[in-house]
Amino acid sequence: MRVAIAEDSVLLREGLVRILEESGLEVVGQCTNADDLLLKVRSYSPDVAIIDIRLPPTHNDEGLRAALEIRAQHPSVGVLVLSQYVELGLALKLLAESAEGVGYLLKDRIRNVDDFIAAVRRVADGGSALDPIIVSTLLSRERPDDPVAKLTPREREILELMASGESNQGIADKLVITRRAVEKHVSSIFGKLDLPATGSESRRVLAVLLFLRA
Amino acid sequence: MAISAPLPLVASPGVARPPTRAVVWAISLAGCAAGVASFVFALTNDAIGSELGEPLVIATLWNWMTLTYVLGGLLAWWRRPASRFGPLMIVTGFVCFLVTLAWTSSDVPFTIGQALDKLPAVLFLYVFLAFPSGRLTGRIERALVAAAFVTAIALEFARMVLGDYGAHNLLGLAPHLAVSETVRHVQLLVLSAFLLGGVGVLAVRRRRAGPALRRSVDVLIDAFALGLVMLAFLYVSLVVGGPAVTEIRWATFVTLGLAPLAFLIGLLHARLARSSVGDLFVELRSNPAPADLRDALARSLRDPSLTLAYWLPEFESWADLTGSRVELPDRQAGRVTTLLDRDGSRMAALVHDPALEDEPELLAAVGAAAGIALENGRLQAEQQAHLEELKGSRARVIEAGQRERQRLERNLHDGAQQRLIALSLELSVLEKELGEHPDAEKRLDAAQREITASLEELRAVARGLHPAVLTGHGLAVALEQVAARASVPVRLTVEVGGRLPEQVEVAAYYVVTESVANIAKHARATAATVDVHRTNEALVVEIVDDGLGGADSERGSGLRGLADRVEALGGRLRVWTPGGRGTRVRAEIPCE
Repeated sequence: MRVAIAEDSVLLREGLVRILEESGLEVVGQCTNADDLLLKVRSYSPDVAIIDIRLPPTHNDEGLRAALEIRAQHPSVGVLVLSQYVELGLALKLLAESAEGVGYLLKDRIRNVDDFIAAVRRVADGGSALDPIIVSTLLSRERPDDPVAKLTPREREILELMASGESNQGIADKLVITRRAVEKHVSSIFGKLDLPATGSESRRVLAVLLFLRA
Repeated sequence: MAISAPLPLVASPGVARPPTRAVVWAISLAGCAAGVASFVFALTNDAIGSELGEPLVIATLWNWMTLTYVLGGLLAWWRRPASRFGPLMIVTGFVCFLVTLAWTSSDVPFTIGQALDKLPAVLFLYVFLAFPSGRLTGRIERALVAAAFVTAIALEFARMVLGDYGAHNLLGLAPHLAVSETVRHVQLLVLSAFLLGGVGVLAVRRRRAGPALRRSVDVLIDAFALGLVMLAFLYVSLVVGGPAVTEIRWATFVTLGLAPLAFLIGLLHARLARSSVGDLFVELRSNPAPADLRDALARSLRDPSLTLAYWLPEFESWADLTGSRVELPDRQAGRVTTLLDRDGSRMAALVHDPALEDEPELLAAVGAAAGIALENGRLQAEQQAHLEELKGSRARVIEAGQRERQRLERNLHDGAQQRLIALSLELSVLEKELGEHPDAEKRLDAAQREITASLEELRAVARGLHPAVLTGHGLAVALEQVAARASVPVRLTVEVGGRLPEQVEVAAYYVVTESVANIAKHARATAATVDVHRTNEALVVEIVDDGLGGADSERGSGLRGLADRVEALGGRLRVWTPGGRGTRVRAEIPCE
């Protein structure tokens, strides 16, 4: 699995490279700005690009723009955006069209190395990785006749994991239940929220996000 | 050119005083004596009857002209000592008298009178073109009058030298009547051309002049320029031998003699204007509100385009009533500035139509009448300018603070936060490398928890310093996060249509965050709404909760700071907080 990194902090970049390589991923390019990243993505076609949302020169949203450009020009390359804060608006911007091969995580998540590596792999494989805070933020929103209120606590838990991009197997592992049980909950959730059932796990992330966002 | 008019005064600044009583009497008597004399000349000379018509008629008409110019000129000089117009009219009148010397039978007076014969025509032209200042302002006017002088005097001399005008002409040294006749034709035709040219200049000048309504009397005066046309017609008739030359001559004299009356009406008109200065006095005494001063002055001066500027010595600039800097227009812009002083120091300026320059007395009188009100206006302008300056410096202080916070926030992120995360990564790697080692594992976990807490604290501090997301993505995106993080459900609507000036966004952001924080801390609310929308000139931010209300403005030290921030941008912040019925915070922040 091949990874490209754009991160302007040397310490963090080197730390990232180290944990990625120790986990058996190949870092094919490291750089400090968006232009170099685009060049590296074009040249090496990595499976996933890890991008700091704030990159030089202005440290505003160069990283996000680079991510969107990669999505547009190289749909096969997954993008995982790292951010200092959870910026809901930016996350939704990134996920505007599809959640396939997209990740948006708080920088702190890197510290939980195993979860982080799992997220990188998921995005590289065309899945999604959304920071749990985004999902819980969306879930905590007020809606008129909130259908979310009709969910059982277990279903709500599963909805959160589902929305953050976990696969059914991943959810089953996390909650220590069977995959079969997860599938049952999922179809119950889709029924209660009146969402059409969908095959792809990535597509259902988007469906849930759109629902929560509305 | 600016006329400096020291206040208070009524007479025009730094110009001649009116003629003394002795001078008035002397000129009046001289005028009457001249009239009598020319009657005597006319009635004792048989020759003029045949040439000009009935001696009595011609003498009466001619004296009519002489006396109206002399007496009219005297009145004009007395009423308008600043203007050279009065003296010019008096000179014209006396020259008219001198011409009648040609009616005598003595050689010397005849020669003098005859030499001056065409001069009145030129002076009439001069008078018309020089009304009301008595000066020829344009280059064309001056050239026209000068050329007419030369034509009238030089060619007249030429004719006399060539032996015209018979026996009493003492200058007939080289008689050559045929040439003289040609010269006469040329002289009369050229003079009539100049007269018509003068009328043309008048017409053009009138069309370019300021608001016609102000000087309806100009129309009357222009009507008497008909006299010049008639004179030109008379001269042409004398050359080509048109019909009824005598009657034309009489009618011309009558018309030209009436013109001084029109000039005097013009003066009387100025007097009438003076009475509106009286109204101004009354108006200003009752309510000298600086805001209404301009309108009152514009009414008194009958110049709707009038503007007022106040001199602010501290700022060394001119300003309007709101304290905003203004530039005085220069003459090229078709505006004239009159400076108004008080006790020798510069106070205000009237920017008005050039036509008003003809009435410096009126300007000075109006300026004097408005003295106190102008001083009040100047003080108000100065106060406003100070206020603006203060507002500007407050905004600059807040902006500088904002920049500094932004810099600190960036430093925290790019420095401390990244280092902590890297450190944490290092610990994770270490933990793996360490393998089974329960004690060390426990301590590493504790260290990780410490790092987590530090990161959270750091993030909170950084966010408090400056909302980075706001800079990058604007109000809507930033507020979405605030609403999502709030302790009570917040219904958020943001309709701002794109990015706003950074200062405005930052102020609006803090109004929302501070209000939402207050709701969490004090209100015991179950829900809140945040509404941010744009009107034509302002961004309106409104936060309403359903909590306890009764919040005092000191609560949450932030409200005063928020008000400062909003007011520095020229906006205002209001809080309604009726006990038991929730709290409403509304900020209006101007943005173009």
